Amino acid sequence: MDSIFFYRNPDSAASGDGALAGLNIAIQPNISKAGWPVDAGSRALANFTALEDATVVDRLSRSGAFLCGSTKTSEFGFGLAESRAGEAVKQKIADTELVLDMTGEARLAAAAAGVCGFKPSYGLVSHFGLIGLIPSMETCGVLSSSIQNIRGILKAVAGPDEKDFSLPDESVPDFTAQLINPTKTAIGVPAEAQSDLTDEQRERFRLSIEELSQAGFAVREVSFPEWPLFLAVHKIVGSVEASSAAGRYDSVRYGERAPGAKNWNEMYLASRGASFGTLLKSFLFQGAFFQFQRYTAYEDACRIRARLVADMKNLTGEVDFLALPVSGGASDPNPATLDETYRQFACTAFANVTGQPALVLPPASKGQAPLQLAGPRLSDAGLLSLGEHLLKLREGGK
Amino acid sequence: MEFEAVIGLEIHVELNCATKMFCDCPNNPGDDPNTNICPTCLWLPGAIPRFSAEALEKASLLCLGLGAELQPKSAFDQKVYYYPDLPKGYQLSQAHLPLARGGGIDISDEDGKTKRLRIHHIHMEEDVAKLVHEMEGRLPISLVDFNRAGSPLVEIVTEPDFRTPHHAMEFLKALRTQVRYVGSSECSMENGTMRVDANISVRPKGTRQMNTKVEVKNMNSIRHVGDAIAYEISRQSQAVQAGEAVVLHTRLWDPEKKVTLPMRGKFEGPCVPDPMVPVIELTPEWIEKMRVRLPEMPAARAGRFVKQHGLTGEEAAFLSEDPEVAVYFEALVVRGIAPRTAMHWLATQLLPAVKERKMELASQPVTPERFAALLKMLAGDEINANAAREVLTHLFESGESPEEIVKARGFKQVSDAGALEAMIDQALATQAAAVADFRAGQGKALGFLIGQVMQASGGKANPKIIRELLAKKLNAVS
Repeated sequence: MDSIFFYRNPDSAASGDGALAGLNIAIQPNISKAGWPVDAGSRALANFTALEDATVVDRLSRSGAFLCGSTKTSEFGFGLAESRAGEAVKQKIADTELVLDMTGEARLAAAAAGVCGFKPSYGLVSHFGLIGLIPSMETCGVLSSSIQNIRGILKAVAGPDEKDFSLPDESVPDFTAQLINPTKTAIGVPAEAQSDLTDEQRERFRLSIEELSQAGFAVREVSFPEWPLFLAVHKIVGSVEASSAAGRYDSVRYGERAPGAKNWNEMYLASRGASFGTLLKSFLFQGAFFQFQRYTAYEDACRIRARLVADMKNLTGEVDFLALPVSGGASDPNPATLDETYRQFACTAFANVTGQPALVLPPASKGQAPLQLAGPRLSDAGLLSLGEHLLKLREGGK
Repeated sequence: MEFEAVIGLEIHVELNCATKMFCDCPNNPGDDPNTNICPTCLWLPGAIPRFSAEALEKASLLCLGLGAELQPKSAFDQKVYYYPDLPKGYQLSQAHLPLARGGGIDISDEDGKTKRLRIHHIHMEEDVAKLVHEMEGRLPISLVDFNRAGSPLVEIVTEPDFRTPHHAMEFLKALRTQVRYVGSSECSMENGTMRVDANISVRPKGTRQMNTKVEVKNMNSIRHVGDAIAYEISRQSQAVQAGEAVVLHTRLWDPEKKVTLPMRGKFEGPCVPDPMVPVIELTPEWIEKMRVRLPEMPAARAGRFVKQHGLTGEEAAFLSEDPEVAVYFEALVVRGIAPRTAMHWLATQLLPAVKERKMELASQPVTPERFAALLKMLAGDEINANAAREVLTHLFESGESPEEIVKARGFKQVSDAGALEAMIDQALATQAAAVADFRAGQGKALGFLIGQVMQASGGKANPKIIRELLAKKLNAVS
């Protein structure tokens, strides 16, 4: 159990008041809690202690939830190498867990743990105090075996924050459970999202989709011809943002400083070289390459991103929700390279590019694959209601 | 071959906001090192920039004051480079979508003709930290003071409309006046709230080509900007004449040697849109609200002074240069002082006296009420000009009114003909030689005799009456 946690809260749970009283929540050490070590999984932040609570932490505490500790994360939360996200929930040490989702990390971790994983719409949850890498794509994801818990957490943390001006000026969705009428709910299955699946994966995914049809939903195949561009755009825009975001880890004000440098250029090189792991370095190199050497490709990627957002909006105008696999292809479960890492997230990165919400449900049976559901931006409440509807049917069917 | 220069300026102006640009830290870079800092301006993990409304307002007023057009949409980019003065590896600056475009300033060129110098655009950016290099024994160390990191700046980028050092200096003087008018900055090159880089190239006179430019930095007065440009024009002209190629680089002005010297090339990184600072969208209503807050600008005010108060263009321009002086002047006129008297006494007596005492016009003890009271006594012949100057000195030192000072210290002018006549007779009796000179047709002897009588009165005699009486007596006796 201790191998799951990076830090355990020395205090014991108090019987507090509030909507989330009694809820046991794990976070990761890239979510700031004042006084807790937050190394974001990187030597660049070894021994760094948070000065302030992240807005999500502050709001959860005010709602009566108990933060039991932080679980081990990948370096700066990118990818899942060496991450133990999801395991605390799987082992029922925590009721829910907060995991940054920048490529699909929260959703993939949930799928691996056999629990629900939710990535809210971009802009719904404050970034203040989150130590991320890709500001325009990452958002705080929530893992739990109960969608009611996820809903409760979103109710508590979503909404405007005077500490985060980057949140768009939009009205906060009403998270009250909505009644789902399957016959009036159209679910589209993008054909292109399945292109990399192996035959076995395809069969499992087919069984998952069958569950939707059996539940009475109007399921139909839809097409998104530019699907492969989601990952390409994520690679370029995401790595460029990461290259800038990691610029602050320069060993001048905090972090580790490698000894022996003769001038500050050497100091940067030696300290950053010693601080970052191989995967992160590859990611940052890629971003620096596009920043410094292929800026026009970055500009193109931004334009394509805008087009993908518009196309996705059109698609989610035709159907109410989308159903997709969570992962596919012969991807390495413990990837070491950048390419392998991206391959792992081929089915999830789209939601980080567009900012739309996505929900992963565990498989209903052994033969099924975990199912990913997505909706248009700010359809978070409806998406959670859909997930809840399906889980209830499963219970009833048992 | 005769050359002409093509010059453009890049001017950084530090806005006098209460807080920094992206956090609530006090914008006082001069305080003890690293006292005005927080997780945001140190860019600790998890910090998020929060763009200051005051910075936007002060920058917008500055743009409007310079006639530039505020853009409906502007945004911050990350100017990427690594240097210890930059806490996050990039500087937030508006590289692609600036706050304002256009605008310009009319100056008088060397021949007194009006020349329009255009502004290309004005953008906002944050300042960086200050580096201090010291020795710790024999070990060189670099200290970083983050007080200045995140201070709000605007950068004014001009068109290459300038041809001479005179143009640059006149532009900077006018710019300083106008920015002070809108109240966005003190714009002092001496204390670093205005920093100027000049881009200079030369070409054969009469051609239209744009040649490779050289950037010159490190001037800390408007005079130095002129000197540095003059030096650089002559250096480049000689180089071109000698057949050398001008290469793109940056030079530093050395104020002691009065030369520009090449500096090591600084790495220029890319500019990427920042994902965290929201795009700034200005509505026409908001822009109009800013425009209403704009004070009467110097050129408009000078024009009004000429029309309304009958001053010359030069006098009006002098008074309008500093908004405090202009306001003081009008406060005197409102109190019934003739505009020319007000202008004259302000320019030749009060302002030099304030400057000599190292005071500020707005906060010094000779308020417009007191100064107007003094000038009224002068106009009413109650005191003469000598006495008025002395009373002014007393006004700086005592809280008494001018009337009380005149009364208590006996500055009242002697206009009583009887008393004056006795002094005049005395002068005529003792200065026979001067009287003879006068009679021999030497007019200046009269001035000497007036001076003698004035001296006898202890400076308090009314000079007009002395002159009348003296002339009458001299003419009567002859």
